[in-house]
Amino acid sequence: MKRMASILDGNTFMLSDGCGDVDPSPDYPAGLFAWDTRLLSKWVLTIDGERLHALSIDDLQYFELRFFLVPGEPTHYVDAKTSVIRHRSLGGSFEERLTVLNHRDESVVLTLRMEVGCDFADVFDAREARPRPGRTVTTVEDGRLRLCYQRNRHVAETIVSSSEPADVDENGLTFRIELGAHGQWSTTLQAIGVIQGAGGRDVRESLRGYTQNRPEKRWELGEWVARAPRLTCDSEALEDSYQRSLIDLASLQYVGVTSQVKLTATGLPWYMTLFGRHSLITGLQTLPFLPEIARSALWVLSLLQGGRIDDFRDEEPGKIVHEIRYGELGGFEEGPHTTYYGAADTTPLFLILLDEYERWTGDADTVRLLEYEARSALAWLDTYGDLVGDGYLWYERRSSSGLDNQGWKDSPDAISYADGRLPGNPRATCELQGYAYDARMRAARLARTFWNDPAYADRLQQQAADLRARFNRDFWIDDGEFYALALDAEGGQVDALASNMGHLLWSGIVDESRAGAVAAHLLGDRLFSGWGVRTLSRDHSRYNPIGYHTGAIWPFDNSIIALGLRRYGFDEHAARLATTMIEVSGYFGGRLPEAFAGYDRARTRYPVQYPRACSPHCSSAGTPLMLLRSLLGLRPHHGHLTIDPAIPEELGRIELIDIPGRWGRTDAFGRGREHLRRR
Amino acid sequence: MADPTAEFFSSLEQRGPDLLPVKARGTIRFDLAGPDGGVKHWFVSVNRGNVLVSHEYRQADCVVSTDRELFDRLAVGEVQVVAAYNRNDVTIQGNLPLLLMFRRAFPAPPGTRDPRDRVRERLRRRDDLQGRVRPANRILPGDRECRQ
Repeated sequence: MKRMASILDGNTFMLSDGCGDVDPSPDYPAGLFAWDTRLLSKWVLTIDGERLHALSIDDLQYFELRFFLVPGEPTHYVDAKTSVIRHRSLGGSFEERLTVLNHRDESVVLTLRMEVGCDFADVFDAREARPRPGRTVTTVEDGRLRLCYQRNRHVAETIVSSSEPADVDENGLTFRIELGAHGQWSTTLQAIGVIQGAGGRDVRESLRGYTQNRPEKRWELGEWVARAPRLTCDSEALEDSYQRSLIDLASLQYVGVTSQVKLTATGLPWYMTLFGRHSLITGLQTLPFLPEIARSALWVLSLLQGGRIDDFRDEEPGKIVHEIRYGELGGFEEGPHTTYYGAADTTPLFLILLDEYERWTGDADTVRLLEYEARSALAWLDTYGDLVGDGYLWYERRSSSGLDNQGWKDSPDAISYADGRLPGNPRATCELQGYAYDARMRAARLARTFWNDPAYADRLQQQAADLRARFNRDFWIDDGEFYALALDAEGGQVDALASNMGHLLWSGIVDESRAGAVAAHLLGDRLFSGWGVRTLSRDHSRYNPIGYHTGAIWPFDNSIIALGLRRYGFDEHAARLATTMIEVSGYFGGRLPEAFAGYDRARTRYPVQYPRACSPHCSSAGTPLMLLRSLLGLRPHHGHLTIDPAIPEELGRIELIDIPGRWGRTDAFGRGREHLRRR
Repeated sequence: MADPTAEFFSSLEQRGPDLLPVKARGTIRFDLAGPDGGVKHWFVSVNRGNVLVSHEYRQADCVVSTDRELFDRLAVGEVQVVAAYNRNDVTIQGNLPLLLMFRRAFPAPPGTRDPRDRVRERLRRRDDLQGRVRPANRILPGDRECRQ
């Protein structure tokens, strides 16, 4: 696969080819993006008309990158007389310092040119060159190049300037430079994006997240890592992925336009914005490490909670948002994504996180402050969530450009019968019922302890118990001994064997007598590839090892499954899953991607990349953290932290120092005693 | 409707306590420009869900500016405020989170039906056509039944 190079800072990123150039690409959203809008779509460097070739790339920080280049295409030997260093960074603006080195023993005159262009595409459109409805004007002024796009009152602008004088034309900047023998020359190019799409806001001036300068960013990253617990362990892969995760989580933080608090962007490059589901899951994964992620998620999602019935946005009162987008398409309502609510899992997950957050942090104020939103969410479960009126949680798309599936497996073919047929609508997937059960159980505790409403608590518990009994009756497939993936519109079982079932263990809705069969399926040949639990059983009609939700393996999915296995006492299973997932991270440089292929381990011997997977991805970055929690058996209990390690021999010793929580800070130690069965 | 904006604001004091989160607290001023260039002000004070509305021109935590025609459409639910903000048809200064909370006060688009009614009607029609009787779903806790 072609090497790409990216830097990011919250929801701003620059994605180029391996030489640092940006050309239109049908495969990935190339260019400089902020707020879902492309601010540079052409950024190509030449010397005397010739493009450059990369000798090496230095990943300095997540917001900083350096390319070493020479002119011309690679030949048998590189005998370049000139080399170029491109050192780029984000923070306040996009900057690229160009340094040209002359290796000749004599002086030379060179023409350096940066081709610059911008289509101001929405990230949804970034791979295809759709005609834009607005007007683009390029002007040259005071040695700067100003690219401006206007559609009604929406204005986006990119201003490119150079620290050294340049000949500026409408397509770029040209430098005629004279270098002495072994001399060097430098200039710094700067691109500033301004989007007046919202209240004349200027991305450069009005947002703290974007105006930070670079030393401040380095300091903040250091602080962030220092706030998290310190890990020392025998496993190098575990230690690497832990460090990588902390940095990736930092890199994805950004300050939202409307909420004005720190949010977690979801995944580079497609989801550089807030997704309700992944913010909540990342909040859950990181509670023992960086509880501020959960707090911000709860706060911003409560602000964005659904307020009315809006079919175009699949919105209902009390529902928690699926995603927000800042781009032009949503603003002009060509899509519902400005605030899109097509998710049935976000609302129960919000309640689950609220309870879990208090259990870890003891922050009762937040639970009291969010009582209104929590009660609205519970009311949504009873009303709009129960579309059919039978007590289960259902979904059905109403928006013309919304999602057919509204659980975490949201691609159109994700929910199928074993024989490949797709069920009619509405649909009630199994993990949603687990979340709804858990949400009510947890809300009962909140109502009793913090909202002074024991009658409501009793009612919620009763509802949950009722749901659990019916669920175990209606979803269990006797022949196969597993839970159906979903119920269809007729109330019949969608009989696919899928990873969704693993979430049921985490929720606690599984009947004790059936947990063993569920655990055996999860770690059995049909679902477990040897690297992780596949999204769909390999013997089903729609199974495809590189199917997004029909065979690929998702790290975050596995992290929830591991925690669920421990909840039901399957310590060896959980340890096995955690171990293989940590092994996988080693193959990806410590960074678990959004998803990877579901090929059998015996076939490939290494985990195969999923094409176009986001990386970094917030809840994949959260995965090693949740696995650590599972391995050490961390659980808040009556104001202190209980530790119950189940660590495989392979991983050896694990020490986690300064775990934050209602206890202040405390340490956890564990030693590998779990003997893993190999298949 | 003669003046949707006036009707929206006049019903706010009554509807507010049911619609707004308890933590919503602060003042919002709506500056609505008419075709003649004249600006009409609506001053909304929100405190623990309670709402007071006046025409005062006072400093507010959050100032929302747009034209009267667009606000009429917001008031009847035709336009969504966040999308309008994102395309720069509405400008907002100050405390944006307060406006996000206040967003709940805007009604559903005209002609919107409860999605449950749509789904249940459709299922009922299909069940009737196919002569299917849905099993009663409520069972007593602890009472394990077998699937039919």
